[in-house]
Amino acid sequence: MELAAAEALKGAIALVGYGLAAIGPGIGIGIVAGSAIEAMARQPEAAGIARTTMFLGIAFTEALALIGFVLFFIA
Amino acid sequence: MELILASAECDPAHDIICAPTDVNELFEFREAIFHIGSFPITRTVFLILAIAVIVSAVLYFGLRKKAVVPGKFQTSVEGLVGFVRNDIAIEIIGEHGAKYAPWLLSIFLFVLVGNLYEVTPGVNFPVTSRMALPVMLAAITWVVFVIAGIKRQGLHYFLGIVWPTSVPIALRPLVGLIEFFSILLLRPLTLAIRLFANMVAGHLMLTLLLVSGWVFISSVGDIGARAGIGIAWFTMGLGIFVFEIVVIMLQAYIFTLLSAVYVQTSLYPEH
Repeated sequence: MELAAAEALKGAIALVGYGLAAIGPGIGIGIVAGSAIEAMARQPEAAGIARTTMFLGIAFTEALALIGFVLFFIA
Repeated sequence: MELILASAECDPAHDIICAPTDVNELFEFREAIFHIGSFPITRTVFLILAIAVIVSAVLYFGLRKKAVVPGKFQTSVEGLVGFVRNDIAIEIIGEHGAKYAPWLLSIFLFVLVGNLYEVTPGVNFPVTSRMALPVMLAAITWVVFVIAGIKRQGLHYFLGIVWPTSVPIALRPLVGLIEFFSILLLRPLTLAIRLFANMVAGHLMLTLLLVSGWVFISSVGDIGARAGIGIAWFTMGLGIFVFEIVVIMLQAYIFTLLSAVYVQTSLYPEH
């Protein structure tokens, strides 16, 4: 009985952990995308470079959230 | 059939969403469809082999004629190939980029078709949501960028990673350690996990919402007005469906883009 309760609690903690892991990347992606939009608005002729760099920045920032996502399934 | 599989335990009179009891059964297909010799072909393996056939067919029939005034199909295929060659390979890697274009095109089309299975009616299973596939692709990328670095710089490639001369000497051991793990371990790992996690999340969301919607709406005779929950889930599911099409193309693009960036950083470490 105690074991089942511990199992359920473990799942709940993993859920909270994934939520925490998503905070940082969420803020980070917001900053990356916001700055990219600002750059595109200021210099529309450089929009192509800004877009590629934005995707790269998002991809690197996102990695932390993804590791959290995987740990949520492993836990 | 899978619809029943995923929602077998669902009771629309009491639950508010149909959660599958075992998530793994959405991703694992153990029974073989047919055998080649003694080698069993499961649904996943069959879909992977189908990617090769689809991609080869599209490229062959799209670029077979090389008409001076290309038709719609040829224009689309040429646009796709040109996009990978010019906007990814040459733009990111630089003058040596065209050499890597065939490899990048293979990765791009393989991942794209593998992802597109997610929203293909009747298939509805992205093969890239099985970790083995992204890991293999990331391992190939790892081999390519390490070999590109060794060919360009010799063994100085590894020395440049663990002993970066561009930072002050006191910081070099620390930065070298971080760089070593980040380049040789975290790069392929996050590359694989990014694709895998996005596809798993997309497949789960679609299954959860669309199956719930279907179960609630189809049992409208038993539960009456509660079937309205199903309409909400189904509408949300269709919204996610459109969102997933964007994610699918973006993930194929990002996987290829990052592969190109990794090759570029081993060719020109000073940047």
